[in-house]
Amino acid sequence: MKLEDVIVEDVPGKRVLLMGNEAIARGAIEAGVDVAAAYPGTPASEILETLALAAPKLGFHAEWSTNEKVAFEVAAGAALTGVRALAAFKNAGLNWVMDMFMTLVYGGVRGGFVIAVGDDPDAHYSSNEQDTRFVAFYGEIPCLEPADQQEAKDMTRYAFELSERLELPVFVRSVTRICHASGDIELGKIEKPKRRPVFDKHYGMPWRWDVYGPPGPVEKHRWLHGRMPLAKKIVEKLPWNKLELRGKPKFGVIASGIAASYTREAVRALKLENEVAFLKIGTPTPLPEKLVTKLLKAVRSVLVVEEGEPLVELQVQALAKDVNPRVKIVGKRTGALPPVGEINTDIVASSLARFVGKRIPKDRARELLKAKAKPLVAPRSSTLCAGCPHLGTYWALKQALRKIGGNVPIVNGDIGCYEQGGYGIAGKEIKPSFSSESVSYPIEAPYETLDTNYIMGGGIGLMQGQFHAGYKDGRVVAVAGDSTFFHACIPAVINAVYNKVKGLFLVFDNSWTAMTGHQPNPGTGMTATGEEAKTLRIEDIARACGVESIKIVDPFDLEATTAAIEEALRGDKFAIVISRRVCTLQAQREKQFVGKRMIFDRDKCVGCKICVSFGCPGIVFKDGKAGLDPIICNGCGMCAQVCSTGAIRVGE
Amino acid sequence: MAELIIAGVGGQGSIRASHILAIAAIQDGLRARVGETFGAAMRGGAVASHVRIGEEVYAPLVQADGAEVVLALEPLEGLRNAVKFLGKGGLLLTNTRTWMPVDVNIGRASYPDMRAIEGEVEKLGGKIIKIDATSLAQQAGNVRTMNVVMLGALAGTGRLPLSAETLKQVVRENVPPKTVDANLRAFELGFKAVQER
Ligand SMILES: Cc1ncc(C[n+]2csc(CCOP(=O)(O)OP(=O)(O)O)c2C)c(N)n1
Repeated sequence: MKLEDVIVEDVPGKRVLLMGNEAIARGAIEAGVDVAAAYPGTPASEILETLALAAPKLGFHAEWSTNEKVAFEVAAGAALTGVRALAAFKNAGLNWVMDMFMTLVYGGVRGGFVIAVGDDPDAHYSSNEQDTRFVAFYGEIPCLEPADQQEAKDMTRYAFELSERLELPVFVRSVTRICHASGDIELGKIEKPKRRPVFDKHYGMPWRWDVYGPPGPVEKHRWLHGRMPLAKKIVEKLPWNKLELRGKPKFGVIASGIAASYTREAVRALKLENEVAFLKIGTPTPLPEKLVTKLLKAVRSVLVVEEGEPLVELQVQALAKDVNPRVKIVGKRTGALPPVGEINTDIVASSLARFVGKRIPKDRARELLKAKAKPLVAPRSSTLCAGCPHLGTYWALKQALRKIGGNVPIVNGDIGCYEQGGYGIAGKEIKPSFSSESVSYPIEAPYETLDTNYIMGGGIGLMQGQFHAGYKDGRVVAVAGDSTFFHACIPAVINAVYNKVKGLFLVFDNSWTAMTGHQPNPGTGMTATGEEAKTLRIEDIARACGVESIKIVDPFDLEATTAAIEEALRGDKFAIVISRRVCTLQAQREKQFVGKRMIFDRDKCVGCKICVSFGCPGIVFKDGKAGLDPIICNGCGMCAQVCSTGAIRVGE
Repeated sequence: MAELIIAGVGGQGSIRASHILAIAAIQDGLRARVGETFGAAMRGGAVASHVRIGEEVYAPLVQADGAEVVLALEPLEGLRNAVKFLGKGGLLLTNTRTWMPVDVNIGRASYPDMRAIEGEVEKLGGKIIKIDATSLAQQAGNVRTMNVVMLGALAGTGRLPLSAETLKQVVRENVPPKTVDANLRAFELGFKAVQER
């Protein structure tokens, strides 16, 4: 059965396999969500992708917004009219939302408003490991944290109800191992949507939706503060907060969210079921303080297990000071668990064993064998796909930079598939330099092109600072993708024009938000639900922002692309080059692109490795000569343009 | 309880294969967890999907030395995961077709040869079965059915707590309609390749 059918199937009790993100979407569907808005970001993208499959069938609104801030405001705006709304994004997306978030909570909402955030401990797909639960704590709203996919669904469904009862937004915080893991779950009943939107500007409070309206922000902050006792009372009774306390154990374990799943398995593996009391937490904030107190009074020491920063641990420690100062509390804060990265059953098991003083026998011989095998396991640095247009753009950028000479250009990166331009090569050892001068490094592969990279839209701003600092040792360049352009670059482009910056802004326009799984964006011509939409052109926006030098090129034409970039680099202006070609994977899927037949003539190959440095995974190198892997190659033909001896050709 | 890892390179279909296994397990009345490691839509990265099937499973990840089978769609990825996760007496069931890492292509690393991979797995107390699944997929009529060849091979080892029939049915229901026949052929070819060894 297809996901689009499963997700709207109204058969309560049926067991199906759902990914965590799909389960969150299903929870929202069961709750009868009316408006859902999101911006893609791994590990959270499938929440809206799934909702978008259901929206036309069930008659609610689902959209990809331009960025997270807009998504949040779209959802909040809906909730102010009393309907149910959901906003979804990854950890970093929340940073974009903070301004509105910290103020919206002062008046709360009328309809249920759920904020589903995918955190990413271990930074599998992210530039940091930030912990959304702190934002819930800071903003004084509840946070639900599922331990598995079933809870992800059930909590999301319930979060709407909780939000309405408290008149506040509610977080559902998941992590990669929930979002991008699948589990068997039992479906619930689907509530039919169609709440009627209503509006009352003094609803329950004067100037409810206007923070400046009297009684003003401080009194509204007081109101927010006043919601907490009710929230605390409610969480005490939730099924996801559960204390298992039998007999008189010395040890207690508190585990929140997915950590509870790892801990349960670790307890079972160590056969400690009867020796430790177990408090499973589903609301890291506010904590079920009565349950925690009960545990703290019953045991001598407590291990707190959680994914992220020690939020639960800090609160438990504070509570212990009041209710049982003698109990010892250990966790991430004390080194009982690693302070960074993600946890798993093995990590929890060894921490738990140390905590209760149990030895886990170690197989030294096996460890040694494994250590010896390690060098055999070659790294696999991630690459762009075979035939990716970004490969052509990077090649052209490299050639153009080489042609204009100039010692140490700064290429500021950004976020998208092209961010791999700064992933480096895992197998290559790098010795940091401590030179007081600018230092130039060779680029062996496109993956070594970028010099800076942090967050979405960051590069185009950094480049301007380098310009104004008076950097003269090379050109300043910024790159960004099309989705990133719409999301985060427009104010910075205006700033560059306004403040007279000179430099190159190179846009990798593949028409899709590719890296997160090919979502449409304002440049695609399609909405989240597949309806046709106006196609916004980056050149039109740039022109409207006052940019005078704009060139559009096709990255499959390496010569023309190189020439355009070279010209822009030589010019004395703020120039935008838009390198435009639809993502090859997507073009194949939509039958817009059929690969060419490539011919490789081994006799003509001199083993110069220029094609290898092009960085396409379809090109292999073995026994002194290059070659094409026919299964990987997509037939874009770019490598034939790179080959200097005619060994690679495009067939008829 | 069955614990296994499906390892490969992005684009080879390891995630789909793991979902097929998990759905089949649920249909056979078991519980299932699949922990997927995949990020970007792009191809070429190392991907591993942890599959845990049983009466009582919570965590989505297999423990170190906890896998009974590592099903490798690519040999190096098989080795990578076997070293970390394959338990004593476990099986590395691997495709023989390689997908060269860029690190190897630019000369910063070398690709282990098949005999070295076998040697390591045996030293760690594991068994290895190799099949040329890519060629079998081509024989089935679609190179992209390689993951299903491997599922057929897995069913052929008899190491699964599920029936091959359920698995085949789930394959049928979870591949693009136009490719059902090729996928079922692929399953059979993989199954036979292991059984006829
Ligand atoms: C604030 C924030 N939101 C979302 C993401 C997730 N994310 C990673 S790459 C990317 C977009 C890439 O799209 P585009 O710029 O068009 O580049 P492409 O991947 O298509 O090359 C997104 C949204 C993020 N890293 N940060």
